[in-house]
Amino acid sequence: MPSGEHSPLLLSMRGVRKVYPSGTVALSGVDLRVGAGEVVGLVGANGAGKSTLIKVLSGAVPATDGAIEWEGASQAWAVPADAQAAGVATVYQHIPLAHTLTVIENVFLGRTGWRRSSVKLERELAQLLERIGYAIDPHATVEELSIGQRQMVAILQGIAQGARLLVLDEPTASLARGEREVVFEAVRRLSKSGTAVLYVTHFLDEILDLTDRVTVLRDGRVVADDVTDDLTEDALVRSIVGRELLRVEQQEIDLPPADAPLLLEVEDLRSGDRLQGVSLRLRAGEIVGIAGLLGSGRSELLHAIFGADPDARGTVRMEGRELSRSPRAAVAAGLALVPEDRGKQALFPDFEIWRNASITDLPTLSRGRALPDSERERERARDAIRALKIKAPGPDALVGELSGGNAQKVVFAKWMYSGARVFLLDEPGSGIDIGAKADIVELVRELARSGAAVLVADSEFSELLAVSHRVLVLRRGRVVAERASGATSDHELVGLASGLEKEMQHAA
Amino acid sequence: MQRDKQRRGVLDLLRVRDLGIVYALILLVVVLTIVSAATGRPNYLGGDNVANILDQASLVGILAVFMTVVLVSGNFDLSVGSIGALAAAISLSVIDERGVVVAVLLAIGAAAAAGLVNGLIVQVLGINAFIVTLGTMTALRGVVLILTDGRTITAESSDARTALQSIESGFWTVNVPVILGVLALLAAGAAFAAGHRGRRLAVLGGGGAILAIAGFAGDMGFRYAKPVWYMAAITLMTWAVLRFTVVGRRLYATGANMEAARLSGINVARYKVVPFVLTGAAAGVVGVLYGAKLGATNPTALNGLELTVIAAAILGGTSLFGGSGSVITSVVGALFLFTIANGFNVLNLGANYQDLIEGVVLIVAAGVYTVASRRKARAGSAPEPPEDGASTPAGPAATSTATPPARAEALHG
Repeated sequence: MPSGEHSPLLLSMRGVRKVYPSGTVALSGVDLRVGAGEVVGLVGANGAGKSTLIKVLSGAVPATDGAIEWEGASQAWAVPADAQAAGVATVYQHIPLAHTLTVIENVFLGRTGWRRSSVKLERELAQLLERIGYAIDPHATVEELSIGQRQMVAILQGIAQGARLLVLDEPTASLARGEREVVFEAVRRLSKSGTAVLYVTHFLDEILDLTDRVTVLRDGRVVADDVTDDLTEDALVRSIVGRELLRVEQQEIDLPPADAPLLLEVEDLRSGDRLQGVSLRLRAGEIVGIAGLLGSGRSELLHAIFGADPDARGTVRMEGRELSRSPRAAVAAGLALVPEDRGKQALFPDFEIWRNASITDLPTLSRGRALPDSERERERARDAIRALKIKAPGPDALVGELSGGNAQKVVFAKWMYSGARVFLLDEPGSGIDIGAKADIVELVRELARSGAAVLVADSEFSELLAVSHRVLVLRRGRVVAERASGATSDHELVGLASGLEKEMQHAA
Repeated sequence: MQRDKQRRGVLDLLRVRDLGIVYALILLVVVLTIVSAATGRPNYLGGDNVANILDQASLVGILAVFMTVVLVSGNFDLSVGSIGALAAAISLSVIDERGVVVAVLLAIGAAAAAGLVNGLIVQVLGINAFIVTLGTMTALRGVVLILTDGRTITAESSDARTALQSIESGFWTVNVPVILGVLALLAAGAAFAAGHRGRRLAVLGGGGAILAIAGFAGDMGFRYAKPVWYMAAITLMTWAVLRFTVVGRRLYATGANMEAARLSGINVARYKVVPFVLTGAAAGVVGVLYGAKLGATNPTALNGLELTVIAAAILGGTSLFGGSGSVITSVVGALFLFTIANGFNVLNLGANYQDLIEGVVLIVAAGVYTVASRRKARAGSAPEPPEDGASTPAGPAATSTATPPARAEALHG
């Protein structure tokens, strides 16, 4: 692989500063170098300035100060089209493709001119696919594609414009394992063929595997810029977080007493072919993990317990009392759901923190249970900001302006103060940085210590093991195994969840 | 709190996003007053003219209130004009035989039922509200045609006609300063009893007392047509419910993010359907008032009314995508539209230009709101927006600027 020192410098950003009109300093003097054909990793916690840096680089926002050099010539890209013309293609996390058009139409969307020769474009697409080692039906419409395939179409679109530098913003965040491999392969091949890649991600194993060099941002500054081979995951984590990370690994978790009261009982819960008869029990103070791969029914299970799945059949009892099947009944009984997609399923981005935090418990904060008392609501939000260490200017900050980790804490605040006793957490750590993740783990433990029961689904099994007392393995809508956290491993869980380790299930 | 301290542009300082239409109305009235005076016409702000504008705007104003409720809940209703026409037709066709009370109740009941049908189709079958209400708008107009057999219908019995007209015609004199003053005093008293103290409370109480006494002593009664007072009462009540109650908060939440509201334990079906029922009932009231005014109705009654109502709500700054809007500014939007019309009339400008101006004003208003909320979003945006889709199309501006494709098609296609 080409390494930074030897390849000619393609991009050099020096002393780039960005101050937003609101006065927020997003970048305070950042240097970034990318050599031709080099794969550079860009990492940092949420709020470190990664997104802003990418936007400056792609011409989407102007830098307040600093210099950008492209192939040795100074540049001031005013609009994204300028950067694109120069050879910078940016693939954002939320892929802006034309959903009703076909793959080939999307890939060559930027192509100008009156006439399109489909034969020529097809030949060109075939060459591009060859280059990144990928295969896809050129005439499938984008709306038929999986997220992983869309990601690849976006990458193809980038290189079809003749990109010399491809910026990938969290390309694997929502991809399944197999789909990630495809992206990795494409990055490797592109790098070999001379296209540089700036790879932005939360996944440190990808950074270590894939990149030649890593630039670490913290609070708008570069705190590390090293050749990947000299780095370890530990060192990387330290520079990202800026402190020794709270060990979230296996620690002695105090088990709840065996006679702790039973809070939640689920019996034979079914929903179509996604849930095929799941039963489970949760005692007060217990944290139970659900280990399941994509499509195993883990989200469906949590939604069904919460009464949010109208097709679900089966019994859910809360402290012995059977619940009717609606989220309203579940909330009234003390169930809480922290869903996977907070922006769409849990938060009101245009509302302030206080209006978000109070929505589940409005009558309690109201005069005569009918007229909300905004002072008490704000007071509760202030409590939550303090207790959960939410980084926000105050209770009046809009939730849409918070970073992922802080938004997730607002979701927790919604439930913690409304007397919920059973927490259903769906991928609580998705899309949030390491520091906030550690806070959330601590929070979950605190909830259990205070007598709540927690059911948590997570696709990162090591994180699941770190937080839960026992783990239920879910495969194709069935609980196929149960393990105490101390008596199993990440590897065994993957085996069980993927169906590779059937014999171990019997052995147990 | 902190946000107040941040630098703000002029647009933000004046709260254009919230109050733009109020400034626009004031400006329009000032211009019309000056031009009237300069051209030697009677005082534009004279009591008669103001009463006139309010009277003309009252029916659209009442509907704009509930249209706002529907829009806040994240839906859309095109059928109000047809429902109104239906109510007018029903009330006038049964009044001779069954009397005014039955006629009015039947008309409003049928209108509310039509609203319920709208709501159930939208919510239960999940069909886009634009399409559903476009359908019911057309279908109900057809029902009106069938009921009236394409002819104008009138109340034959003069007793019935008189009773019906008494609902609509005539004036009430209300001493608004006294009412406002007493309300302010009551609010201050309630807050004091609840343990609140401080300068703002004193200002509220003192101001209320002065207002009440001045109103009483000066005999500051306002004499307006009955529909104006209906509009005022309906607006204030709805505003208070939306602004101060749990129901109102949940309505905004449902409109802002239905899935999040559902998973927070809110009965979203109720908050989606009831606005349609209320709007239907309000359209029924408007239809009855319309029929009462003329003592007659015809198949094309209230045709096109829905567009004026929606225009008023948009002028008032209500988002078409749910979760934001205020009934008061929507009513001000209605007043604005009728002030323009009235201005053309009073100043004797060619009425030919009126539609052109109203259309341009609507687009300009939407433009100002879009720019204002985009600026607000930019000024408030965090250094690094959520990276995980927590608020997919970046921040608050998205609701009014970045039109979700599906909705855009529905609205413009």
